[in-house]
Formats: sequence, C-alpha cells, structure tokens
Amino acid sequence: MSTELSTDVLVIGAGPAGSMTAKWAAKAGASVLMIEKRQEIGSPVRCGEGMSKDWLKEVGITPGRWINLEVEGARIFSPSEKVFEINEKSAGNEVGYVVERDAFDKQLAIDAANAGVEIRLKTAALGMLKEGSRVVGAKVKHFGETFDIRAKVTIGADGFESQVGRWAGIPTNIATRDMDTCLQYRMTNVDSDVRYCDFFLGKVAPGGYVWVFPKGDGLANVGIGVQVSQVKNPADAKTYLDRWIDKHPGYAKGKKIDMVGGGVSISPPLKQTVTDGLMLVGDAARMIDPLTGGGIANGCIAGKICGTVAAESVRSGDASKEFFQRYEKGWRARLEEKLYRNWLAKEKLVSLSDETFDKIVEVLAGVRLEKLNVHNILKAVHTKYPEVTREFEAFL
Amino acid sequence: MPSKKSLHIESSGQVCIYCGACVGVCPLNCIYLDETRITFDEKVCTRCEICVKGCPVGAIEIG
Repeated sequence: MSTELSTDVLVIGAGPAGSMTAKWAAKAGASVLMIEKRQEIGSPVRCGEGMSKDWLKEVGITPGRWINLEVEGARIFSPSEKVFEINEKSAGNEVGYVVERDAFDKQLAIDAANAGVEIRLKTAALGMLKEGSRVVGAKVKHFGETFDIRAKVTIGADGFESQVGRWAGIPTNIATRDMDTCLQYRMTNVDSDVRYCDFFLGKVAPGGYVWVFPKGDGLANVGIGVQVSQVKNPADAKTYLDRWIDKHPGYAKGKKIDMVGGGVSISPPLKQTVTDGLMLVGDAARMIDPLTGGGIANGCIAGKICGTVAAESVRSGDASKEFFQRYEKGWRARLEEKLYRNWLAKEKLVSLSDETFDKIVEVLAGVRLEKLNVHNILKAVHTKYPEVTREFEAFL
Repeated sequence: MPSKKSLHIESSGQVCIYCGACVGVCPLNCIYLDETRITFDEKVCTRCEICVKGCPVGAIEIG
C-alpha cells in the first residue's frame, strides 16, 4: 500500500537554512513538513563551528546552550607565520562564537517545531514529483517505504551536496575551482588560544586555509580546506592537514577525538535559485561565503526570507517562478553584493604566492587599521609594497 | 583494455567518512549518500574522477 502525504510547504533538509525556512513559513500560517534523511538532526557535524553573531537577532535566534565560547577576534597567519590580528570591531562583527553545531541545529529544529512544523527523520528525498516542469513535491523513502509527498511549495535545503536543485532543473553544478574539499579533527590537549579563531594562509592549504577554532579546555577544531582544482593526489586534504599538524608542536602533541569532512562551495552566487514550485536555500543555493567558507548566517538570513515568501505563495495560490522572484530578489538584495565582492577577493587570494601573503600580513600587522576592508588594506600595503597592490587595481 | 566506463567505481566503507563532498562535486549528479552508504549510478557515471579529487580522505577507487 502506498501512503501519500500532502502539505503546503515541504522542506527537504533540516539544517539551519531548512529549519529557518520551515519556522518562518509556519509562523506565517502555512502547514509545513520538514524531512531529514539522517536519524539525528545536526549529527554528524560537518562544520568548523565558527560563526559571526551580528545577524542572529535579525532572524530571531536567541543565544543558548549551543554557544561553546565567544572569541575576541581572529588571527591571520602568513606562510612564514607573521600574524595579523583582527578584532571584532575592525572586522565588522565577522568573528563571534565557536558553537556546538549539533546543538545549534537541534535548537533551530526545536524552534521550527514550536512554530508548528512537522518533522520526519530518516526520510530521504529520492527525486521530485513534477507536473510538466513544475515541482509539486518529492518522492521520499522512510524506513524502507517509498511514497510521495505532495506540496504547494517545495524547498531544497539539502546542503552542499544538494541534489534537489538539479532534480528540479536548476543548474547548481560547481566547477572544481569553485569547491574546497575539507577535513577537520577535533583535538584535545592542544595549545590553541581561546581568545582567537586562527587562520593559516598560503601553500599549507592551496586555495583554502588551515583553521584552528578553540573550544576551551585544550580542545579545538583543527581543519583544512583545499581547492579541488589544486588537488594533485587523492586525500590531499588529509595529507596537507596532517603535515600542518606535524609541523606545529602545539598541535602535534594533541589527540584526535573526532573527524569531520565535507565540501564547501567557493563559487560566485547562482544565477537562479527558484523554479516553478521550488526554491533553494542555504548551501544548496551556493550561498556559502566564498572567502570565509561560512554558510550558516547566509543560510539563516535567506531562510527567513524564503519561509516568508513560501507562506505568501500558499496564501495567494501562486507558486510560479515569477511569484518566487520576491525571494530571489529579497535574498540577493540582502546578500549578493557581499557574496560577489568576497568571491572576487577569494579569486585573487588563491592566486597569491607565499611571498606576497607574507608581505601583506607583515604590513597589516604593523599598522592600525580602524576599519578593516579591502580598500583600507590595499592602501596600507601600497605604501610599502606598491608592486603587490598593482594586481589589485580592480578593487581600488 | 577495458573502456574507462566499464571500470568499477566504489567508495571504501572503511575509509569513507560519508561527508557528501563527492555528491556535491559530481557533475552528473550520479552519487547518492544514504547516511553511511555511498552509491554510484554506474550507468550514468563516466569515471571522470572529479569525485576522487573532491574526496578529502581518498575513499573513492576506480578499477
């Protein structure tokens, strides 16, 4: 016997973007069903667990037990390990919390449930239900049983490895140069500084960086991202990370207690995130910041807009891609300029030599920039190394 | 000499950390991650090996 469910809004994926979308759609009066293929929301963690905090209020998230610790700033280490310190003010609140991502995701799902969202675990999407090219729900599998969920609006919040967009006909494929392959160990007994999130640039992580995010009591997330187009051999991410740890006695003495992997898009924003009956949100819509690799804030900010538009769509009985332009335009107005700017900056950074990284960080370490932005950085570097800034004229 | 497409592709269950990086990078959307199991649609896969590079731990083997 085949079961068939129906709902106003079907959200595929219960990560932060999915839960946010579901919550805001339910708050606006829609019936919402959120499905998650895993057996546990938030686990296994696939995240460095560092995030900014200035956006939380905007989307209605209240700080809770998911906060691991609050950092004062970030430190950028050049290849020869000159250090440049960024505090929260100069970075425009880019740094903030180190979090327990599994607890964070669960809290957001709880918030969604409290708003009236139905949640089904162990429910994986297998493909889209379509009428012509219009998406009208998904075919799913739940504990071995396959059935259809019909929905007025379907949301693809299925993360970096999104298949929903592609099943629905939205091109979300990414080139190898637009993706970092990532690996992270949670390590204990390491010498991380709880005041800072640390970033190590240059050939130690081609096309990415090594990060150390402190979790307190000698615990830290030590991870790496390597641009896939710069991978020479299988498992290069692991090889580079292990090599970095070996060369840093404060970490080589540590013990690994957890291992996390994943892909991170470092692409420019997608040209299209909606189609008839369907919207994409979060990492599935390639909303990850291509410079920092952070995806939570953007996914949540877009999720609020997406959920609100989904409920409006249900109310007006119009789930056309034309109607969804409210979302397409809404999230772009809020996020696109920065995504594009950071993509340009990233494109430049991945091409720099270790020597150039050293020069830039050395200059920045020696000056006091009131506000940290690309323009001010370039001006400072220009005074000492004009030949370095020549490459960056497009930014000035 | 077998054609490239006739070669078998699989993710080693012992090495794989089921992170989904291969799923996201596959240009043909032919890899599926089901909790702790990776499956390839061998009929669609062209053995382009992009997933081999995208895997952070080197779990995917073709041969």
